[in-house]
Amino acid sequence: MKVVTTRFGVLEIDDSSVIRMSRGPLGFEDQTDYCLIQHRPDTSFRWLQSIDEPSLAFVVADPSEFFADYDIEVPDSETGILRLKNPDDALVLTIVTISDGGSRITANLAAPIVINSRELIGLQVILQDNRYSVEQPLVVNRDRSTADEARQDPKPAARAA
Amino acid sequence: MLVLARKVGQSIVISDNIELLVIEVRGDQVRLGIDAPKSIPVHRKELLDRIRAENVKASADVDVDAVSRALGDVSAP
Repeated sequence: MKVVTTRFGVLEIDDSSVIRMSRGPLGFEDQTDYCLIQHRPDTSFRWLQSIDEPSLAFVVADPSEFFADYDIEVPDSETGILRLKNPDDALVLTIVTISDGGSRITANLAAPIVINSRELIGLQVILQDNRYSVEQPLVVNRDRSTADEARQDPKPAARAA
Repeated sequence: MLVLARKVGQSIVISDNIELLVIEVRGDQVRLGIDAPKSIPVHRKELLDRIRAENVKASADVDVDAVSRALGDVSAP
């Protein structure tokens, strides 16, 4: 199927790779169908791109890469919706917010996107766990790209916090 | 909106499987006990509002290159 997007142009997506949510993320409940797009070949960041709304896409990442002790308990009500029987089938992604012109990067650990990777059913799960913030600062390892950073940003130090 | 007055120790039953019990009233704070099947999610509304606002913020129109710069991708153009 062809998917029209504002950021990536027209994509050819295999029908069998479409992730369907019984209800879209909060605020976007009507947008239920998504695909995952790798951001760049060498990063773990991906885009959760809406199939029906070209401009709607979220930057997502595997939270365990940044928050080693992040462990979640998906409530029974949600595992039922996700038809999740085996925890190994759960792909957990955190929505990343990039704001203040790129100087602030946060992850929404309180409401991850959980995907049954076997059946490609997704859901934004609201955790009953007050350890996790909606806006947890995320520190990106930019070691490999120091040269690029210096070239692209006149004030790299301001963003490194 | 249906408005019901309840005292401490009294409860409200919604449908046949949700019970809302007033446990304690202290000043302007009310403690409620909620007895509902696990299949029914129960959340504080402020949290839902915050998540909704954060989703809207996260989906704001950032382009791919801006994200690359913010993330410091080695492959960024």
